[in-house]
Amino acid sequence: MSDHILEVENLSVEFSTYGGNVKAVRGVSFNVNRGQTLAIVGESGCGKSVTVQAIMGIIPMPPGRITGGSAKLNGHELLGLSSKEANKFRGIQIGMIFQDPMTSLNPTMTIGDQIAETLMVHRGKSHSQALKQAVDLLEKTHIPEARKRVKQYPFEFSGGMLQRAMIAQSLACKPSILIADEPTTALDVTIQAQILELMAELQRTENMSIILITHDLAVVARMADEVAVMYAGQIVETGSVDDIFYESSHPYTLGLKSAMPSNTGSREKKLTPINGSPPDLFSPPQGCGYFTRCPYAMRLCDKKQPINFVVRGKQNHRSRCWLQHGDAPEVAAIHQNNSGQSRAD
Amino acid sequence: MTSTSISDFYPGVADFARVGTASPVEEISRPSLSYWQDVWIRLKKNSRATISLYIVIALAVFTLLGPLFWQVDPFLQDLNQISQAPSLRKSATLVGAYKRWDGIVLSDFPVEPQEYMESVAAVTGLQTFETATTQQVRLIWDPLTGSAGYNIYRNHRLPEGFNDLGLPLGSTYGANEVSYEDRLSLESRTYYYSIVPTDGYDEYEVYTIIEVRPQMIITVSEAEGRGLISEAEEGNLGQEIRLEFHPFGTDYLGRDMLARLMEGARVSLFIGIVAPLIFVLFGVIYGGCAGYFGGTLDALLMRFADFVVALPFLLFMILFKIAFGIGPGESGIFPMLLALILLAWPATARLVRGQVLQIREQGYIEAAQLLGAKPQYLIFRHIIPNTMGVILVTLTFAVPSAIFTEAFLSFIGMGVAPPTPSWGSMCNEGVKTMLSHPHELIFPAAFISVTVLAFNLLGDGLTEALDSRMRSRE
Amino acid sequence: MLAYTLKRLLAGVITVWFIATATFIAMHMVPGDPLMNDKAVSAEIRKNLEQKYGLDKPVTEQYFIYLGNMLRGDFGISFTQQNRRVNDIIRDHFPVSATLGLLAIFFAATGGVLWGALTAIYRNRMPDIIIMFLVILGISVPSFVFAALGQLMLVNINSMLGYSLIPVAGWGTFAHMLMPSLVLGLGTMAFLTRLMRSSMLEVVNADYIKTARAKGLSPVRIFFRHQLRNAILPVITVLGPSIAAITTGGFVVELVFAIPGLGRYFVQAVQQLDYTVIMGTTVFYGAFLVFMVIIVDILYGFVDPRVRLE
Repeated sequence: MSDHILEVENLSVEFSTYGGNVKAVRGVSFNVNRGQTLAIVGESGCGKSVTVQAIMGIIPMPPGRITGGSAKLNGHELLGLSSKEANKFRGIQIGMIFQDPMTSLNPTMTIGDQIAETLMVHRGKSHSQALKQAVDLLEKTHIPEARKRVKQYPFEFSGGMLQRAMIAQSLACKPSILIADEPTTALDVTIQAQILELMAELQRTENMSIILITHDLAVVARMADEVAVMYAGQIVETGSVDDIFYESSHPYTLGLKSAMPSNTGSREKKLTPINGSPPDLFSPPQGCGYFTRCPYAMRLCDKKQPINFVVRGKQNHRSRCWLQHGDAPEVAAIHQNNSGQSRAD
Repeated sequence: MTSTSISDFYPGVADFARVGTASPVEEISRPSLSYWQDVWIRLKKNSRATISLYIVIALAVFTLLGPLFWQVDPFLQDLNQISQAPSLRKSATLVGAYKRWDGIVLSDFPVEPQEYMESVAAVTGLQTFETATTQQVRLIWDPLTGSAGYNIYRNHRLPEGFNDLGLPLGSTYGANEVSYEDRLSLESRTYYYSIVPTDGYDEYEVYTIIEVRPQMIITVSEAEGRGLISEAEEGNLGQEIRLEFHPFGTDYLGRDMLARLMEGARVSLFIGIVAPLIFVLFGVIYGGCAGYFGGTLDALLMRFADFVVALPFLLFMILFKIAFGIGPGESGIFPMLLALILLAWPATARLVRGQVLQIREQGYIEAAQLLGAKPQYLIFRHIIPNTMGVILVTLTFAVPSAIFTEAFLSFIGMGVAPPTPSWGSMCNEGVKTMLSHPHELIFPAAFISVTVLAFNLLGDGLTEALDSRMRSRE
Repeated sequence: MLAYTLKRLLAGVITVWFIATATFIAMHMVPGDPLMNDKAVSAEIRKNLEQKYGLDKPVTEQYFIYLGNMLRGDFGISFTQQNRRVNDIIRDHFPVSATLGLLAIFFAATGGVLWGALTAIYRNRMPDIIIMFLVILGISVPSFVFAALGQLMLVNINSMLGYSLIPVAGWGTFAHMLMPSLVLGLGTMAFLTRLMRSSMLEVVNADYIKTARAKGLSPVRIFFRHQLRNAILPVITVLGPSIAAITTGGFVVELVFAIPGLGRYFVQAVQQLDYTVIMGTTVFYGAFLVFMVIIVDILYGFVDPRVRLE
């Protein structure tokens, strides 16, 4: 058994709309290690949510369509399953929580019933047994007065409490992977920290892997073991969290980092935004998607998709950028160790 | 992870040359459209809404210009043409007055057979005597030995058997009485006459059929009475006369349906359009004030609106009728209009109030206020243009509901009363003869339905156009 | 919940009072004495009425007599039917109308929810297109036309069968009720179908449906436990106003199908200008509708926890 619990290879997803086919995910590959956290980071619309939803099989089809690739959980294929087969792993082996806890829970069912539902369906428990376990789960996610709370409805919870309840619900069947799709985006900053802490704690006690989707590099730095940077439907750079923060080798990753405020940089140092906008995914460019925005763009970049280069001989650190080609000119920010930039906490 | 093979691709030195990264300045590539231009374009893309728009225009033409082309008096009664089905143009032959016919009684044939017979043969030699016309059909046949009389039947279709001979017209008594004259409301269509011999009481189970198609005729006096011929033409017997043309048929008093539908459209559409225009306008002002001023005034105004909603429409309709001195059975177009206006505005008021409240909270209003805009400017420049869409949609949906109300009131005899036609009152009259002459109900009902349908679809299209406009701006 | 109910009931009572007062004022605004307008009033009835309503007394006193009568639930005596009390008329004929209306609401609600859900599932496919076409038709055709067509259909069915399978008109058995209530509910059914469809489409794309799928629930369970229940809420909120629409539609349907209901009686009273019956039934209907809306709103609280606990 490999230490990869989930292996995703060459996943492609399209959406057919009135304007044509949107190629939202274009050949994405990554692995998730047992008991570790993979963060998928990128700006909104880059396809990170679609990627995980495709793995879970919860993309609305139509208009969505998985056009290729595979996703193997412990060696078992997940893509293209019937809903009956897919329901043998959804909610059991993979749990999922969403961005907005306020709308992600059914407003007309009690929190307890919603958690119990999973247990009743997958574990065949009686309603009272399942409710009892729901109380335990709520306690595990540090919701005070859990016994009273199970009987309440979502609108009686605060946002942070709801996200805890969501986590409790996704943990009901002790999944080996938790997918968290922007779990803290809709929450206050102080609540964010609590939720992240809770996730980290649960990861240790339950020994699960986490796929964390976010656009917040601070969250990545705090939580991730491995990072995948996504841009325009592709993963442009992967590596360990240190690789990405200290030795980032893709101009987009660099751009993201310099657009992020840090607490150690000098006061005069301005934040640099990434100019322009991502390419139109109705007709993806022939070359690199970042070409029009890249400060180091070369003639080649517009013509040819970059290859996934190994960076500095580290097999786990890869960058989809022509600058890694042996003949490419040296770019100081990329080819020297960029540890001058601090890791943001 | 996969690493793509690059064996087939060797980039040259030139490929690695740096290119400028002047990020393209964002350009506005499409011409900008005004709000209503955009809505209009979206509406035109919606085929259902476009068709509905054409229907509405066609209805307007039908109502306003129709009477110019179809100059038939909608009130002219013609008791000879009661409940005519819709048909193409008809003509008739001019004939003289009806002349009595004594029929044929054979003197050399026994009246009754010598002895009772168990069965007899069918009648032979059945034919028409003279030309069959819509005035009379005269049948003669050969006498049948063994019978003691004949029963005559008439059917609209070819009889399928002995029990399907149709309407029993009459009997003759005696084997020698071998003729029958049918004058029972004949039309110019095919009839199947059957003759059944009897033993004086019971029928023998044999019959003979003849197919007859009477010729359409009109007598001189009738043609003159209907103004179809002048006195000078009286003598031209046998001449083809063009009858009145009723493409939609006639009603139970012989009035032309097409002319009445046009006249009725004026009443129905008048109420359907004028009432909503007035009450929507009132609702807009009322709701606008409540929303704009807010506070106690708002609470007071809206509470009053809530009560008005609860008021019974029919009662007020009756009261206005009495107040205007209109008795039962008389037309009350004005009271109906008044009742509609006085009682239907709260829905619009509530909607506009909500809209105004929402707009008042928007950032651009605050920004304008900070820049020193006066209330007048805010109202005319910001609030009214931004509520226009909702108001237009309300108006479009108010039209069908007003038409429904008119139809409903006229149907129960509270609105437009005879002889004034309206689509509702025509339905009221048509429903009484529905089983025998369905066209008298179907035409006005279809006009109501198509009108309401068109306005509903137009409203839907408008809502969609405005909605997507809003969405695309988000 | 209790406070809410009491508040609503109080508002309802005030509304009914307002209706009664408006009715009274309106009747007195009519030029002359309301009794003078009808020649058919016999001297005997007239005397009774004058006594009962104190028509010789000042208007304010009359108003309080009127209110007092209403409060005691006494609606007076019919003008045109000697010595028949309006209360008796309502008691005799309202149950018929209520049965018809309830059946119609039942047809409209079940039909609306069913068709609406179906069209949402088959969105933009053939069943959706066909049903939505019928819905638009249903909204655009007046109820009396449906009534007439329904009757015509029954006549044809019965004449084809050669015996009376379903009676064409009248009242009594369930078979009598079938066609009128179906016809009466048709317009509302069309309206509710439309509402249910858009509500379903909204729910299908809701985040919590995504959650339910991620939880590994079967599509059937998601449909019944999560989608339907949430999508039905807006349908329930409009049931109150729908009752009003069905009541008015009932007048016509009772007329066409010769059903001895209060609606038909009301229309007759209107045509004969039978004031006491008009006033009595108006206030009765007003109160009935106001409290039906309140009942529906309170029932709504039991389905939607957000309202219940406010």
